Amino acid sequence: MGVDFTLNGKPRSFAGDPRTSLLHALRDDFRLTGAKDVCGEGFCGACIIYVDGEPKTSCLLPVGALQGTEITTIEGIGNVDTLNPVQQAFIDFDVVQCGMCFPGMVMTLTHYLKDNPRPSRAEVKAALTGNICRCTGYERIIDAVMSLHNSASGEVRT
Amino acid sequence: MEQRFKYPPSVEDAVSALGDSAVLFAGGTWVMRAPLRDEDCEKTFISLAKIPELHLVSVNDAGVKIGALVTHHALAAISDVPEMTALVQAAGRSANPAIRRMATVGGNICAKDFAAADLVPALLALGAEVEVQSFEGAASLTLEDYLQTRSTRPSTEILTSIHIPRHSGRSAHARGLLRQAGEYPVANVSVYLEPDQNGAINAARIAVGSVESTPKRWHALEAAVSGQPFGRLSISDLAQSLTQEFTPRDGVDAPATYRLRILPRLVAQAFADAMGQLERSA
Ligand code: FES
Ligand code: FES
Repeated sequence: MGVDFTLNGKPRSFAGDPRTSLLHALRDDFRLTGAKDVCGEGFCGACIIYVDGEPKTSCLLPVGALQGTEITTIEGIGNVDTLNPVQQAFIDFDVVQCGMCFPGMVMTLTHYLKDNPRPSRAEVKAALTGNICRCTGYERIIDAVMSLHNSASGEVRT
Repeated sequence: MEQRFKYPPSVEDAVSALGDSAVLFAGGTWVMRAPLRDEDCEKTFISLAKIPELHLVSVNDAGVKIGALVTHHALAAISDVPEMTALVQAAGRSANPAIRRMATVGGNICAKDFAAADLVPALLALGAEVEVQSFEGAASLTLEDYLQTRSTRPSTEILTSIHIPRHSGRSAHARGLLRQAGEYPVANVSVYLEPDQNGAINAARIAVGSVESTPKRWHALEAAVSGQPFGRLSISDLAQSLTQEFTPRDGVDAPATYRLRILPRLVAQAFADAMGQLERSA
């Protein structure tokens, strides 16, 4: 018997060892390599995905705990033609360097901005506590996020 | 699936499923890192997720009851128990947002090799009791007693809930970090303070985590401050004079001496916070 869940809107089943981390299942079995395998300890946030809409670190989630859930990865929140607003802002502000941390950053920030559409810089930094970037100085990332609600209309771009 | 990942429907069933080849699974943030600690990874996961009462928080006049599976995220959102601020702060500042959605209070207490827990000192300062269940049935004991016996408790016992008696004082939690956030505290301190009518300390509970391998109450400092007028307390000097109560641990994050060095500052910070709350509530 496998574990059944929805992955980026499609029904999927996993028949391997249920103690396997979702991160490894995503990358090795489902060929979704957007979530990155970095620290494996819950510190860096490069592996963040949503379970039922909530950002979690997939490196610490065994697939066996996910029966019946809805999983969304970075591959499922936008597409090549229509980027998610956070992704678009990251491009506009030329934020990305090596890119290792960015899938996780986009997942964290997209969720955060839904509930907090007009955050301060300090709040954005607090929201990014669990997303570590080894390349950038973070400030440009924050600039990009601030642009989303400092836009002419004062609204979050959707 | 049934073999290596079990979902017992009740605490009794979970107790029967336990044993040397099984490990309890709550939030997963400790268990999933067993390979990194070179521990046995072939154990069957016994998940508690399908036991409804373990997810509940209930508040009444007698106290606050917290199920073992309540997450840090859920604890951080409790806003109607003013004396419990230390726990709310500890829950809301520990680790990072994604981990706080996963890590549970039961796991924080039961991960016996985890020295840097944030919730445990807060619960100690709040005088918490824990309820455990084993083949012998349910029993309750103080968290302080639980921690003292933690390393030798039977592997077939489950910590099911935490009980915090209601109090009239105020509490606060302070964490010493090398960066601003997102890592384990080098040391942490929770205090609970209750004034008497004359503006002196009627009761104080002070707990320290991450300095030794297990969080503990700082009874000598509690005794030293009790009866003292709030206004004339030089708390960091007092704390400084009593740091010999600890045998600090060395770690890759910080040497033992550093943990002790920042302790008086953290105590002062937590005191100032709790005293501020008392003033505002007066
Ligand atoms: S790989 Fe999961 S948090 Fe770093
Ligand atoms: S851009 Fe390289 S880790 Fe963030």
